[in-house]
Amino acid sequence: MAEPAVQSRKVPTYCYQCVNGPDMLTVEVVDGVATRVEPNFAGKGCHPADGKVCVKPYGLIQKLYNPNRILKPMKRTNPKKGRDEDPGWVEISWEEALDTVGAKMRAVREAGLMDENGNPKFAFSTGGAGTPICYMGAFPALFAAWGPVDLSLGAGGTVKCYHAEHMYGEQWHRAFTVLPDTPLCNYIVAFGNNIDASGGVTSVRRQADARVRGLKRVQIEPHLSVTGASASEWVPIKPKTDSAFLFAMIHVLLHEHAENELDVPFLKQRTAAPYLVAPNGYYLRDPATRKPLLWDLESSAAVPFDTPGCDPALSGTFSASGVEDGADGQSWEHAAVSVKPAHQLLLERSAEQTPEWAAGITDVPAATIRRVADTYLKEAQVGATTVVSGREMPLRPVAVMLGKSVNNGWGSYECVWARTVLQTLVGALEVPGGLLGSTTLVVGPEYDRMASCVPGPDGFMDHPFHPTDKEHWKAQPEVRHGHSTLIPATGNGLYAQPLGSTSIAWMRLQGRGAETWPKVKPPEIWFVYRCNPLISFSETSRMGETIAQFPFQVSFVYTMDETSHFADILLPDCTDLEGTQLLRLGGTHYFEQMWDTEGWILRQPIVAPQGDARDFSWIATELAGRAGMLEEFNNMVNFGVCGIPLKTEAYDFALDPAQPHSTEAIWDAVCKAASFDVTGGKSAEGLDWYKEHGFRLRPFPHLNWYLHPRMEDQGLRYELPYQERLMRIGHQLEHRLHESNIHWWDQQVAEYEPFPVWKDLNKLWGDAYERNFKVKIDDYPFWLLTARSMQYAWGGNVGIQLMREVAENVAGHSGIMLNAGTAQRLGIAEGDTIRVTSPVGTTEGRAFPRQGCRPDVIVMVGQFGHWKTPYAKEFKMPSLNDLVPMTMDLVDGTGSSVDAVRVSIERVGGAA
Amino acid sequence: MTRYVMVADLRRCVGCQTCTAACKHTNATPPGVQWRKVLDVEYGDYPEVHRVFMPVGCMHCADPPCMHVCPSTATGQRADGIVTIDYDLCIGCAYCAVACPYQARYKVERRTDAYGEGRATAQEDAGFDERRLGVAQKCTFCADRIDAGTARGLTPGVDPEASPACVNACIANALQFGDLEDPQSNVSRLLAENRHFRMHEQLGTEPGFYYLWGN
Repeated sequence: MAEPAVQSRKVPTYCYQCVNGPDMLTVEVVDGVATRVEPNFAGKGCHPADGKVCVKPYGLIQKLYNPNRILKPMKRTNPKKGRDEDPGWVEISWEEALDTVGAKMRAVREAGLMDENGNPKFAFSTGGAGTPICYMGAFPALFAAWGPVDLSLGAGGTVKCYHAEHMYGEQWHRAFTVLPDTPLCNYIVAFGNNIDASGGVTSVRRQADARVRGLKRVQIEPHLSVTGASASEWVPIKPKTDSAFLFAMIHVLLHEHAENELDVPFLKQRTAAPYLVAPNGYYLRDPATRKPLLWDLESSAAVPFDTPGCDPALSGTFSASGVEDGADGQSWEHAAVSVKPAHQLLLERSAEQTPEWAAGITDVPAATIRRVADTYLKEAQVGATTVVSGREMPLRPVAVMLGKSVNNGWGSYECVWARTVLQTLVGALEVPGGLLGSTTLVVGPEYDRMASCVPGPDGFMDHPFHPTDKEHWKAQPEVRHGHSTLIPATGNGLYAQPLGSTSIAWMRLQGRGAETWPKVKPPEIWFVYRCNPLISFSETSRMGETIAQFPFQVSFVYTMDETSHFADILLPDCTDLEGTQLLRLGGTHYFEQMWDTEGWILRQPIVAPQGDARDFSWIATELAGRAGMLEEFNNMVNFGVCGIPLKTEAYDFALDPAQPHSTEAIWDAVCKAASFDVTGGKSAEGLDWYKEHGFRLRPFPHLNWYLHPRMEDQGLRYELPYQERLMRIGHQLEHRLHESNIHWWDQQVAEYEPFPVWKDLNKLWGDAYERNFKVKIDDYPFWLLTARSMQYAWGGNVGIQLMREVAENVAGHSGIMLNAGTAQRLGIAEGDTIRVTSPVGTTEGRAFPRQGCRPDVIVMVGQFGHWKTPYAKEFKMPSLNDLVPMTMDLVDGTGSSVDAVRVSIERVGGAA
Repeated sequence: MTRYVMVADLRRCVGCQTCTAACKHTNATPPGVQWRKVLDVEYGDYPEVHRVFMPVGCMHCADPPCMHVCPSTATGQRADGIVTIDYDLCIGCAYCAVACPYQARYKVERRTDAYGEGRATAQEDAGFDERRLGVAQKCTFCADRIDAGTARGLTPGVDPEASPACVNACIANALQFGDLEDPQSNVSRLLAENRHFRMHEQLGTEPGFYYLWGN
């Protein structure tokens, strides 16, 4: 008898386990079993990496079938919470679980959404820079319908992100994240930028293509990273000294080369370099229009910045009249006062910051710094042009890239500023070959960067700063970290709360920091999804004690984990390969996701959900009904929270607000609207079409990779180099805070400098340690750093055996990397157990000596230290996070801090 | 004639292990068995140190030592250069594994699964092949995919359905596959245009696996 024919099919779906998503893949299903992941070959030619996905989604099948999954809702029966408490989990029905959660929500709604401190009673924490939203189906509509939700209890964001780039990048060139125009770029100066591990498939592919073409990259970082491996040169810089290297590069360009070697037309027309700065540090302005003035070399007079036909001076000192507008309406009238263009001030402030000065700080020879700067200038090809889609533009194939740890905490303002100034000096900002921004999350909309580029004050782009004037400043924090009160640049967009300072939220819950504000109460309801702050935040052991105080925690889980150990209710949601959701695809988005197409892509159930796992859209609908907000929830779905409005003047696929709708019905409507969008109204195929075809695309204008045409057409300038607006905001903020008797933010407010002042960060760290912990910094002689694990990062996949197996092929996934010479000096052999100690924590791990590591640095890759997550708890891998102190002294002006920590090490045991 | 070879461009590889994972899916290898993997190699001394990622696996040598030592003729060589193992003939003596200078061969005595005994996933049940227990196993260049693809008129190294899974999956386009005897094939062109080497070339095994490192 013949065997029955094997039933095999390939199902298209997406992966969005990191910010570089969504990417395309297919899953082969054989006789109803998901067997293997493959690229989606239909993506060839329309996806920048031809439909391929990175290593992480290959773990999704094991995630689906992981025997450690929680497949039924559970409730806690032991009211005591703690690491050593047994929660007493009991399986319950979905009915009971939803009734319990829904009743809590209803009770809060009836009693009022805000607590007596003015903070939301409902909080939600997630990880992955918000990417879990791409697995939550229609759930965001529940949040939107609810009202104020506290998102400030972060799981790692503002410590483990590119915070300074997010904040300043968006203001300066709509760059929540930046990228080189890799296909055209010839020279990249990368300070710890680990793009091969963090940039997803598109970055890896573009960078690899560029290297073969001849792109050179200098990798400046304390340990030779995965990305450093493919660099042309490794420069092992001393940790936290990157700004000195960058400042010295500015010096070389300004003081060791003639002005006409720079992109003078760009500086004059596209930046604030010629704006005249008056005696009090603010721009000199035209008294009538309040427009900043510049010195016109043609007429030898100060004229408004937008005067047609003028030739502004970049250097020199001039005598001019006008007004100067300071903070809080303060104004000075000047007659024939001495003023200088911002560029002149830049010349003066960079005069002493020579490569020789930087060499003593960075431990990098002056000749190396000078050579890198000279090469950067030469490779910029100032004066060259190219044509993109019929438009002639400058071609400036150079970029300076910054890594995560350079972008966070003290010093990051200096670095991001200096990097962006370096780009402007050679005209390599937002032009072909140069440094570009990608997505816009502060200003928005996320999927239309060009639309975010609109005129604001003084010839610059607009930016949604929170008000700092006396009348409008938000003295009362809106959420627990008080972003709208303390950090004006966060704006009010969807990403405002995950910015700011999540450290402050946690410190306040622990009764420290922000001492003039009342100790905050925990949220009455805390939802947690795809994050594990007990592993991924700082001082993680202490955080457990904090979370144990939360009265009602709902964790959406696929296996048990450290944070869920403290939950009251566990809800098993569909994993990546079980749920349904439609997302926008392509365009320009995060890091190097630069497409020539845009459209929509579907995630769909590859197989039926395992056990009692349920789709998030179903969970949201059920909870909305029980919380008494079904109509509001449906209205939000119709409004467009699922990615696109379901009703416009052109079409109507809206759902009946009064009725609950199935997951399929919700996404069928979204699919129809998306089809209408992507085809320009020619079709309206629904869910079935996307289930079969996976994605739908249309061309995306290549010109929209660059902000330059839009800036040029609107006559706008990049708000560089001088930060007059930030200085004014800083002064106003300082006034408001002091009026409120708040002095604990003084260090941070002091950072609103028009030119960031170089700080000795090694001294700053030493002082902070000695002040906060009463220790001697010399007793902690090593910098402990971390590095991105491509295999694990953001996937929530630490419990997946396949990821563990393949990650161990990459150095650092089995132990702590340290310099081989250091190891020898300390009598440490490979595999020995070493103890690593900071003032707030201790951890142990196996030593892994490497040559590619500075002698004063040790490295712990990824984030481990699990004690509850099945499988991962057997790793015996150390955690850097528990050693990272949370203290206001290490929070910078934008609220961020960094997971670099000074430590001591000692050998405590031989190899196992 | 046809001679299938793999080309790994060391300028491109970032050590991500996507090929490793794709191979494990396609060939349903058990935990710890990696027919394809990428080595993370350091050379030089601080601070003059370099790091390079090298995909490795069976080199499908033209003169394979593993075949010569095989007492049961289980290891063979196809006309297209692919070195094969006949599981029915293999007696599991492991001489081949010792003889292979590339440590490309594995031998597994009993079934193991990702999450331990009695906890096999549906994916593992679907992929389990009892014939591989107690015998030598290694990379096949996905010969079954090549054969199925060429039978449909497809070209290995060009058409995904006729190409090794690791090549299809490689996100850096570092891995390329094709016919060395065809001067127009992608691998022939890459070898003509770039400097290259093969691993342990001095041993005379004539590996069918080339590393590019510049032009």
